[in-house]
Amino acid sequence: MAVIKVPKPPQSAFDKNRPVSALLRNQILHLHEVERKFPPSRHSGVYINDIKTEGEAAAYIRKVTARLHPQGAKPATFDIAAAGETRSKSRTKRKPTGKKS
Amino acid sequence: MPPGLDNLKHIVVLMMENRSFDHMLGSLKAQDPRIDGLTGNESNPDTTGATIKVQPQAEFQSQLDPDPDHHFPAVDLQIFNGDNSDPRVANMQGFVKSYFNQQHDVPHSAKIMYYFTPEKLPVLSTLATEFAVFNGWFSSIPGPTVCNRAFAHYGTSFGQVSMDIFYVLEPYKSIYERMIAANPAHTAKIYYYDQASSTIEIVNLLQHQPNLFATYDQFLADCKAGRLPDYSFVEPNYSDHDGDNGEEVASDQHPDHNVQAGELFIASVYNAIKQNPTLWASTALLIVYDEHGGIHDHVPPPACMPDGFVAQPNDTGTGRAFAFDRLGIRVPAVLVSPWVPKGTVVSGRTFEHASIPATVTKFFLGDYDQRSPREKAADTFLDLLSLPVMRTDGPDFQTD
Repeated sequence: MAVIKVPKPPQSAFDKNRPVSALLRNQILHLHEVERKFPPSRHSGVYINDIKTEGEAAAYIRKVTARLHPQGAKPATFDIAAAGETRSKSRTKRKPTGKKS
Repeated sequence: MPPGLDNLKHIVVLMMENRSFDHMLGSLKAQDPRIDGLTGNESNPDTTGATIKVQPQAEFQSQLDPDPDHHFPAVDLQIFNGDNSDPRVANMQGFVKSYFNQQHDVPHSAKIMYYFTPEKLPVLSTLATEFAVFNGWFSSIPGPTVCNRAFAHYGTSFGQVSMDIFYVLEPYKSIYERMIAANPAHTAKIYYYDQASSTIEIVNLLQHQPNLFATYDQFLADCKAGRLPDYSFVEPNYSDHDGDNGEEVASDQHPDHNVQAGELFIASVYNAIKQNPTLWASTALLIVYDEHGGIHDHVPPPACMPDGFVAQPNDTGTGRAFAFDRLGIRVPAVLVSPWVPKGTVVSGRTFEHASIPATVTKFFLGDYDQRSPREKAADTFLDLLSLPVMRTDGPDFQTD
């Protein structure tokens, strides 16, 4: 069977200023419920009612997830690139554009 | 035992977001009439009484904005078209009316009937026609994400029909906990995309058992190194955000996220497995969507085994209690394995997300009594790995 080329989305697909969806809003609420149990020194300091965009939601989600699962931030113990399936080949990632949220 | 099951060592589930069967795969009926998709004559009335037919005009983005309502009351309207009599018949005639309720824009409400053609979805359509597509895989609840994903993890939502936090009730345990507690122990992981996307399973699993989690980078590495767990559940990227090396485009296909980005992600998961020949020969990959996202499907959800919980009228928002005795709306589901006959169309059987822990439990653990009534009643799908000889003709996707 011939190789099927999978089109990439256009540059305009990315919009970190998109308003948060109900899914992200609830993900934030669930993380906030967990964060409330942290000692004050480990709180994110984020007032979640101020989170309006996907980019802001992702920043908060990253902070709390990093506290719950710090292993998620560690680089792999072996070379992913050498392992063949690199992120740049397989996923929709782009270079930073300098856009501000 | 068929050789495909003799060789099976890994089950991988990729759960995407919020698209109905007809919206994504309904057009395949024109290629294969065994597929219970669209004839082109399916319709809903709009709020003026006009007939709105399905149309092959779905776009990758900027069409289903605002996000179509898929909470319990809206889905009830979509299924029953506002009929509140008792008994009532599911007729799937309320999708356009439901979408109209969000903007009061009659032309815009018709877009809920749009569907993709196969050329626009080369990955999902190809996998559906090359391997096994399910005519009858339904979401577990006529409601939103969190409660539906709970069925994939626990075989129940513990009475929840919304996005609210739920808590695990004894004696039920997640499929991951069952696996690692077994004797001999099995391995299981939830792979979330990255820390900024994280997981939907926060309160019960991530909080208390972070050892069950890893990132998508780790999934790719584990595939290449042959270290994939016995059972893997993969979550897509739920948001557009800045990653360590650039922009990360949401790949979950949740409206209004870009559908092509999800196609790339599905191809990435498939490629990661297929590019390791040993893993490819010993893995079954299920690609499934958590719920329909408020988008039209023409098949009425069937009644099902009650779950032992009852959601009260205040929780359902419909004025009616719900005994978890009817499934949610149909979603795309495709089973990929070199042991699945090409062009398999699974008909005359009903699956739901409780079929996932049911299948994993049956294959790896055998008899396991402490499961929900819904999971115990759920059909399993590994019998589809029925070929006597492994195929060597699977498609290859170029994603760079």
